[in-house]
Amino acid sequence: MPKTLVQEFTKGLWQELPPFRLVLGLCPTLGVTTSMENGLGMGIATTFVLFGSNILISMLRSVIPSKVRIACFIIIIASFVTIVELLMQAYTYPLYLKLGVFIPLIVVNCILLGRAEAFACKNNVSSSMADGLGIGIGYTLALGSLGAIRELLGHGSVTVWGHLSYNLMSAFPSYHPFTFMVQAPGAFICLGLMLCLINAIGD
Amino acid sequence: MNEMVKMVVVLTVLSAAAGGVLAAVNKGTASQIKDQQLRFVKGPAIETILAGSSINPIENRFEIKEGDAEKSIFVGKFDGKANTIAFEEFGKGFGGDIGVMVGVNMDTDKLVGTAVTVHSETPGMGARAKDDPSFVSQFKGLPVANPVSVTKDGGQITAISGATITSRAVCAAVDKAMQAYQKMKPELQQEIKKVGK
Amino acid sequence: MHSTLKLTVSHAPFWHNGSSISSKSRNILLASLLAVIPGCYQYGFPAVGVVTMSIASAILWELLINFISRRPISVGDGNAALIGMMLAMMMPATTPWWAVVTGTFFAVVIGKEIFGGIGANPFNPAVLAMTILMLSWGALFDFNAALLNYSFDFKAVYPLVMSKSFGASAAGSFSLMNLLQGKQIGGIGSTCGIGLILGGVYLMIRGHIRWEISISFLVGIFAAALGFNWLNPELYAGPGFHLLTGYTLIGAFFLATEDSSSPVNFIPMLLYGLFGGVLTVMVRNIGAHIDGVLYAILIINLVNPLLDKIRPKAIGKGV
Repeated sequence: MPKTLVQEFTKGLWQELPPFRLVLGLCPTLGVTTSMENGLGMGIATTFVLFGSNILISMLRSVIPSKVRIACFIIIIASFVTIVELLMQAYTYPLYLKLGVFIPLIVVNCILLGRAEAFACKNNVSSSMADGLGIGIGYTLALGSLGAIRELLGHGSVTVWGHLSYNLMSAFPSYHPFTFMVQAPGAFICLGLMLCLINAIGD
Repeated sequence: MNEMVKMVVVLTVLSAAAGGVLAAVNKGTASQIKDQQLRFVKGPAIETILAGSSINPIENRFEIKEGDAEKSIFVGKFDGKANTIAFEEFGKGFGGDIGVMVGVNMDTDKLVGTAVTVHSETPGMGARAKDDPSFVSQFKGLPVANPVSVTKDGGQITAISGATITSRAVCAAVDKAMQAYQKMKPELQQEIKKVGK
Repeated sequence: MHSTLKLTVSHAPFWHNGSSISSKSRNILLASLLAVIPGCYQYGFPAVGVVTMSIASAILWELLINFISRRPISVGDGNAALIGMMLAMMMPATTPWWAVVTGTFFAVVIGKEIFGGIGANPFNPAVLAMTILMLSWGALFDFNAALLNYSFDFKAVYPLVMSKSFGASAAGSFSLMNLLQGKQIGGIGSTCGIGLILGGVYLMIRGHIRWEISISFLVGIFAAALGFNWLNPELYAGPGFHLLTGYTLIGAFFLATEDSSSPVNFIPMLLYGLFGGVLTVMVRNIGAHIDGVLYAILIINLVNPLLDKIRPKAIGKGV
């Protein structure tokens, strides 16, 4: 049964929420979510690449020979990633410094190739666009929330681009930042507990 | 056969198009990227050295050819006189090159300050060269004519405890900067006059 | 419906001394009291508070997770209480309540229940939780600072800090007799050497812990410390000091011997203990951390599945 564009878009927000439902793209999910800002930045960069590559692959789906489709997908994805990397260097340099190697690593993020292979090369341009945007925004929200939880517990405060900020320690002066949460093992435990919660909620 | 040709054509065209787009984006963002790098990587170091300058050193920079390399010289203006410059030199540290921004007062030929820009030293050990201002502040006021070195090598700089290699690298970078400065001085004086106006 | 008898088949080798989980937990708790009571006497009511808080919160976390995951209530086997006790033994008496509660959460929920409950945990839950706490709130578990407001009739500095920063001569200022009697500062239940040794011997005789692990752990520490001391007697303290300070004794008798994270065969047990002991001394002498017991135990826990591969050939197989 064909889905409407709205359904293609919203499925990425819950039913196929990338890190939690599809359990894809875990490397940046674990690596960059030391703060909400990093998580959102990574998510937005991925969304851009996903959106662009989904559209282009869907447009070219009748041209690309099936034997070399993976190579073609990689060329398209890698080009978008490089564009994002250059743009981030030019306009959001501090964020680029923080995300570092994770930006070029978007190329090998399974979500991108997964969406290209499973969706964009089989569907028309408009639904691929909706799919890419939905999955990308879902990914951004997931990374942002994981980053927010880790930053809040680990630093005691959340700051996003210097404006939106919340300080847990001013609300609870006796709170001691639980630094374990912003360290690598904290990422695994936090992700695991969130997966647990999301599975408990179910569909 | 037909499919083979198609594969080759599609891949070639795709790669060429991607290359073209990337080249265009690269060209379009290059100057902006350089600007950002100066602001965020070297900016903090320049600001600490040339604190109190009445003009923005990054905007008032000029390039000088020294050997094969081109050096960016940042100019600070104090008391109405553009007499202080800062530029970057590198020394071989424990984990790779250490960038050191060196500020020199052209009237007195003395160092006004130094600061580490980039490094990949061990956190808590060599990284203290950047994080702990008491080490780099030792260079302040030294005349450019005399070479600097750590006390272990018979010099005047107290090394960071547990990070002699890093300390030596910083000294070497400062040394190199002082020599380069003396070589470039005539040229510098010419260029700086333009900024002073 | 539940009348069907279910039999579980699992891999050999087995070890059984005829006691149930709850009697085993009871016995270990009893043995640990030998070290905890002198600790409580030394540090007063705050120590009693930490111990009771830890045990109570560990049981509550286990109840909660039983409830959430809809599994049978398992607090009756005493394992949660035991984990709470082990954790409290490592903590200074001044640990605030929220650190204790977080610690027991990580021990019981993350360290044990997530992996499937008792017998399925790859790490010793108490050690895991304590390491997480120390990584997060190092200042709370810096024994020198934590126990600053106490006055004792002995030197109130954490011995391992002294040997780490001032070398063997500082370590020499602690008499081994004092260390053995618990006249040193440290965790509530980890300083009283005599109590820990008596508790350990009792458990070994009753068969609740394996003597192979405890003894080889101590031998590993002794040998490694002797080696370091022989290399540079000014820098590295002697074996006696390492055996009686920090978490050595609690590690050897109570932590490294935890059932599901330690091996069951003779040679693996020896290797497991030896490796742990040597690692401990290496972390203490050349590592960045002050005490190495926790890290050493976590690492040997990780190696445990590999060590378990060293086992006798099954009869009739692989001639």
